[in-house]
Amino acid sequence: MKARLGIMWFVVGIPLLWGAWNTLQNALKLFQ
Amino acid sequence: MSSSFLSRENTIAGPGFNRFLVPPAALAVHLCIGQAYAFSTFNFPLTRLIGLTDSAPGDWNLKQVGWIFSLAIVFLGLSSAVFGTWVERVGPRKSMFVAALCFGGGFLVSAVGIQLHQLWLLYAGYGVLGGCGLGIAYISPVSTLIKWFPDRPGMATGMAIMGFGGGALIAAPLSVLLMRHFATATSKGVLETFVTMGVIYFMFMMIGVVTVRVPAPGWRPSGWVPSEHPKPLVTTANVSAAVAWRTPQFWLLWMVLCMNVTAGIGVLGQASPMIQEMFPGRVTAIAAASFVGLMSLFNMLGRFFWASTSDFIGRRTTYMVFFVLGIVLYSLVPYFGHIGSTALFVAAFCIIISMYGGGFATVPAYLRDIFGTFQVGAIHGALLTAWSAAGVFGPVLVNYIRAYQIDHGVPKAEAYSITMYIMCALLVVGLICNIAMRAVNPKFHHQGAVSDAAPTGSK
Repeated sequence: MKARLGIMWFVVGIPLLWGAWNTLQNALKLFQ
Repeated sequence: MSSSFLSRENTIAGPGFNRFLVPPAALAVHLCIGQAYAFSTFNFPLTRLIGLTDSAPGDWNLKQVGWIFSLAIVFLGLSSAVFGTWVERVGPRKSMFVAALCFGGGFLVSAVGIQLHQLWLLYAGYGVLGGCGLGIAYISPVSTLIKWFPDRPGMATGMAIMGFGGGALIAAPLSVLLMRHFATATSKGVLETFVTMGVIYFMFMMIGVVTVRVPAPGWRPSGWVPSEHPKPLVTTANVSAAVAWRTPQFWLLWMVLCMNVTAGIGVLGQASPMIQEMFPGRVTAIAAASFVGLMSLFNMLGRFFWASTSDFIGRRTTYMVFFVLGIVLYSLVPYFGHIGSTALFVAAFCIIISMYGGGFATVPAYLRDIFGTFQVGAIHGALLTAWSAAGVFGPVLVNYIRAYQIDHGVPKAEAYSITMYIMCALLVVGLICNIAMRAVNPKFHHQGAVSDAAPTGSK
């Protein structure tokens, strides 16, 4: 059950982190 | 997939089921439907389907294309209100499955519309069918999460609704990547992108469908005992969806949500031109786009942060913070523009937008406190009509006031000051409604048996 829990959070977490990282990278342009 | 697999009875969690599997299941669904916030990435490509580089005769214009998103939001509100009771009855798995069919199917019908160059198919596909998918998917996991996390309802619903804010962060770059990948000398790649996204989103939502469970009747988190002295405004009774809308509490909450959303959504839609016009020559269009992205990020983070915080400080206090802090920040924004401080301006709006998202994420737990868990999903669906109203009211208010001032000779950099003060007035109305909130009169309480249950054995 713990492995399943880890996989689930990984599956939804990776695209979310990818999107957040893209946004943060672009946001840096605001202060350049 | 047989219908029995989708039925509520077959979704009841067995012993040992870890309740922390339910939030990512809900998140999988909400991350997909959050794509709606990024639909504008398709606006320009959809107006160049024939001309490719420039608009050609027969190409759709921006105004026509803009209706696709507007229709989707209208049908989000309508479907969540109309199908709320059905969602409660059939359970989260079947409703998530139907939502996945509608949302994914909406993309596919729209792709046919692009192929045949028939705009009405995009209205019917993404707008109506996809919009119904948005509404059903939005409310599907809410009551299930509240039942799984009676000890932390704000945190649980905040995690799911955070996905709706975060979905745009994924969909915007994903759409651009896919269109770039599928573009050829004779095509913008929009059709292929729609088909691909329809399939991807359907499959991703199916992860939620397969994983979601409802607690068995009588279930409680191990070691958790309901307080014998519940906080003020937290009821142990239940109010049905059919009765809830007759109570003053429903309409006070409707106003609270509507005012909070109106204040946020008005500036969210105008964020890019606003920062460019308030800081002329200092903020470029690219930097303004970054500002919009940053606001999306805070919109997402605010959903989790504020909803989780509400578990500790209470729902009414959380909204007090939204309104009071919102009034202070909105009234300071013109000053930040006047002194030319981009950093303070950006910081103020990031906090404001975090509270806009927080308002969405905290309201399901607020409803649970006021009306009980019985039909909280259906009541939540009906309350989302406040969002539809705010979605029309907010942008119209901001655009109209700005245009009126510019027409009367006010410099563009100062044209937003009055708008900010009007946002303050809206927040004052919301604050008054929130202060007026009281427990529901017992005459409205549901007297019959309550079917949501709770079993034993789960963690």
